[in-house]
Amino acid sequence: MAAVGKPFGAMSIAEIQAGLAAKEFTAAEVASATISRIERDDAQMHAFLELTADMAADAAAKVDAAIAAGTFAEAGPLAGVPVGFKDNMNLLDTHTTCSSNMLANYVSPYTATCVEYALHAGALPMGKLNMDEFAFGSSTETSAFGPTLNPWDFQRVPGGSSGGSAAAVAAGLVPVALGSDTGGSIRQPASFCGIVGVKPTYGVVSRYGVVAFGSSLDQVGPFARSVEDAALALNAISGFDERDCTSQRADVDFTANLAEGVQGMRIGVVPAFMEADGLTEEVRARVAEAAQKLEGLGATLVDIELPNAKAAMSAYYVLGPCEAFSNLARFDSVRYGYCDPGHADLGAQYEASRAKGFGPEARRRIMLGSYLLSAGVYDTYYYPAQQVRTLITQDYDRAFQQVDCILTPVSPRTAFKFGEIGDPTQMYLSDMFTISINIAGNGGMSVPVGLGADTQLPVGVQLISPAFKDVNMFRAAAALESVYGPAPVAPQFAKED
Amino acid sequence: MKKLEEILRTWEPVIGLEIHAELTTLNTKMFCGCKLEFGAPPNTHTCPVCLGLPGALPVPNRAAIESIVLAGLATNCDIEKHSMFYRKNYMYPDMAKNFQTTQGPIAFCMRGHLDLDVDGANASERYGLADLKPGESTGNITRTEDGYVAHVGITRIHMEEDAGKMVHIGGGEGRIAGATHSLVDYNRAGTPLIELVTEPDLRTPEEARLFMQKLRQIYLALGISDCSMEEGSLRCDGNVSLRRRGTTELGTKTELKNMNSFKNLHDGLLYEICRQAQVLEEGGTIYQETRHWDPTAKRTIVMRVKESADDYRLFPEPDLAPYDLSDEFIESVRAKLPELPDDKAARFQEQFGLSAYDARHLVEHRSTAQFFEACMSDATHEAGDAAIKLAKPLANLAINDVAAWLNANPDVVLDESPLTPNRAVQLVQLVADGTISSKQGKEVFAAVLADDADPKAIVEDRGMQQVSDTGAIEAVVDAVLAENPDKVEQYQGGKIGLIGFFVGQCMKRMQGKGNPQIINELLASKLDA
Amino acid sequence: MTQHLTESDVRGIAEYVRIGMTEDEVAQMTVDLNAIIDSLAPITEYDLEGVEPTFHPIGALTNVMCEDLERGSFTQEVALLNAPKQQDGCFLIPSVLGDGGDR
Repeated sequence: MAAVGKPFGAMSIAEIQAGLAAKEFTAAEVASATISRIERDDAQMHAFLELTADMAADAAAKVDAAIAAGTFAEAGPLAGVPVGFKDNMNLLDTHTTCSSNMLANYVSPYTATCVEYALHAGALPMGKLNMDEFAFGSSTETSAFGPTLNPWDFQRVPGGSSGGSAAAVAAGLVPVALGSDTGGSIRQPASFCGIVGVKPTYGVVSRYGVVAFGSSLDQVGPFARSVEDAALALNAISGFDERDCTSQRADVDFTANLAEGVQGMRIGVVPAFMEADGLTEEVRARVAEAAQKLEGLGATLVDIELPNAKAAMSAYYVLGPCEAFSNLARFDSVRYGYCDPGHADLGAQYEASRAKGFGPEARRRIMLGSYLLSAGVYDTYYYPAQQVRTLITQDYDRAFQQVDCILTPVSPRTAFKFGEIGDPTQMYLSDMFTISINIAGNGGMSVPVGLGADTQLPVGVQLISPAFKDVNMFRAAAALESVYGPAPVAPQFAKED
Repeated sequence: MKKLEEILRTWEPVIGLEIHAELTTLNTKMFCGCKLEFGAPPNTHTCPVCLGLPGALPVPNRAAIESIVLAGLATNCDIEKHSMFYRKNYMYPDMAKNFQTTQGPIAFCMRGHLDLDVDGANASERYGLADLKPGESTGNITRTEDGYVAHVGITRIHMEEDAGKMVHIGGGEGRIAGATHSLVDYNRAGTPLIELVTEPDLRTPEEARLFMQKLRQIYLALGISDCSMEEGSLRCDGNVSLRRRGTTELGTKTELKNMNSFKNLHDGLLYEICRQAQVLEEGGTIYQETRHWDPTAKRTIVMRVKESADDYRLFPEPDLAPYDLSDEFIESVRAKLPELPDDKAARFQEQFGLSAYDARHLVEHRSTAQFFEACMSDATHEAGDAAIKLAKPLANLAINDVAAWLNANPDVVLDESPLTPNRAVQLVQLVADGTISSKQGKEVFAAVLADDADPKAIVEDRGMQQVSDTGAIEAVVDAVLAENPDKVEQYQGGKIGLIGFFVGQCMKRMQGKGNPQIINELLASKLDA
Repeated sequence: MTQHLTESDVRGIAEYVRIGMTEDEVAQMTVDLNAIIDSLAPITEYDLEGVEPTFHPIGALTNVMCEDLERGSFTQEVALLNAPKQQDGCFLIPSVLGDGGDR
């Protein structure tokens, strides 16, 4: 272990790279020490499903070779940085399970673009992270392999669906993890775990190789404990990919204006959101305080309206299941995935394999999507939901004529206890502030702003950008961070070795 | 069962076709970079996309989109600038994603048509044709001198992807019935496929056959598919219903599959029309069902009864960007349009003075049409304007002898065969100038192919030149007449049938090389004098 | 709560999506789906006359295509890597009943 007291996973990217450059430690040490620490400290929390020690060592060897050759500066923005990947991201020769029994034994024969880009940027792959089954959930409780615990309080959920990614970063096991966000699956767990989580504009990060849930809603993004690290990670994984038709050519440096401050920035606040049913007082207070802090730093607060946001929830629970139903049809026991033994005809094998391979929430969404797309029903829900998407997009377009960025809550409350929310429709309310952004496709991120007064658990605020102007929210996020400081490692993981 | 002719008096068949063509001439699949190749080891042309692996995403092949626009332009379709791909959801093991990526209500190509020339004996199947004079029209047909032209509407041509292949094992002969297991190979999965749907404008099995044949000629001319019905790169399903003559309401249709040759298409439809007529005449009901044509048993068998319309949960494919084709794109494709068979036939009539019939049949096969043109070019090089006289015999050679030879030898590539255009011109010239008889021409044609030799050399080697020297022939004629005074007397007494005897005697003396026409003329002039 | 779906409807959907269900599961699924569909009501209450749908949240992005060039394939071994059952280079499945629908 290096002279620095902090574990590598609890360091920032800059700290790791400075240590490597100064030869205080080697990338090989970073890799092996981080693997050891995860083996030791994640046993109970269960953020990781699989560790990739050999791959991490191989990647570290390349970084060390670059350092030895004096070419470290060209080794990439994530050179030597331990990174974890949500388990819906294909990485060659690893299991990609989506936390489902359906894919328990599935081994990836290829690598997702976002993972490939991270590795190309010099990241050390630590392993695959737990999630809600096929990303259906807001608590990581639907994982077929058991839930991940919230590093702040093991009685509570880390949020979801990217709960493993959020917990791993919040616990200081890795500085950066990747997640995916279909309705809030990066932002909500980031908020529950008190870290930064970014859902960039749809098309900024390639979806190729990331197991699809809702194809028109899914977007990959990073978790980190600082705004800068999140921006560096997004720089590494973003960029055009010819294998994804919805990938866009938008070469942006997300770190470009982190130091600019918010002087002169117009920041929208949505009064209707602040008065929403179900928003807890402690969260409301923290969000209001964050707005005031930004104002104090020179931003102008502007009240804005998103009148159609109230339809976002129902539009989302139409579009998501419809796309998921179709995306999950491929899990049929023929080419891969769980195959129930002993059936003499394919129909019976299909039905048994899909009944046992999918958990209850996956089954529910497949059934729901199939119903909503059926003849006669399509025109009642699916088509209107796509029209509502137009209205919601227009709401944002109008709002962004007045403001550069919008500030809202991420989640109506702080992390809840395991089993506390059993009713699926109540669980769906966790995403009430996040889903309209997936529907419109623009960028949103969660930034920690301290603890809730009542629960003493992390609260995040959401910053929302116009499409492809993700730099706006990064700029405001950096300003908030200047007030609240970077995210701390969750207390029970913060003890130094 | 009754004969078609009899049935057609009472019933009007209504036929529509759905024709799938694989774009086999492309390098890669519809949505991925796997190679298109027939007959490779199983599952060796597969990748995350065409295996439907979790996380894989499709990217459309530009050349496939160009091909379908080409097909649309060649079949008089409107090219829709704005269209999208859709997902057609149903679970079947040869479809890796368990949905087929296809198009929705708006396809790339909409509202086209083809005009069919129906001639010969088959034209008489069209009911009511006899009441029309040439040039007169009724419904979608116009009477011509030797048949009629049928205007057949094309509803749409849309872009989609083919499925993989399954082999059924444990039963008999790879059949699904009785099989215990199936083997799935995804090499074909994702092959670009264009589906053309006709309006229900066809009325006879012959029209259906001609439509398919004409479409095949067009696709071959465009070079977008190898159109092999045997290998399944061109496939046809037929929808058939009957209605009583004079009524307008459509009857219940059946869908006919497995018509994998022109003959099977014709025979399958013919059988199905007769079957439906019999059922209806016996007071029975036609069920909406899919039927399979069994060419061996010569009947159609039920595959699947449709109780209600299938619900495929069609919705726009979110992984593929919509299309907004520019005029520029469409014009760039139009610029690639080759000369189409109809245009070529019209040009052959105009340029070489061929009959409509000859021109139409000449363009039925790209290879014979090309060969004919090469011959005309060669002949013009040799003989200038006089070559035009050889057009008709060269067309006949191409339509009859060459086509028959190619049919009998499907592996032959005309361009690489001993029959060069120059040799064909020599052959036709030898017959035209009387050096050999047309019967001898057939022998020389066979010899060119067998010996890989020039017709002139063959005629010389085999001593086949006709003697057309009038002096030499006159000597023989005189000798024959002198030797047979009794026969001359009988002939002149009215037994004119003896002319054949005299010709035969002359030919015998000349070892078959005398020009029969000159012999006949000389005999006639001397005997009738 | 409105009864959008009966148990019989739910059985029909389960058959279409090929998920086997016991009678108890069908009953529970019917309750769950009806509750979720109830919560979708706002969608049906909007005045959407003349509003164009947005099927693709990708702005003006259209005509995304790639060139007709080979980009590599799996070996047979890799293609079959995750096959539950295989034989002769193919995926092996139990016999299939019925045809592949309209194709």
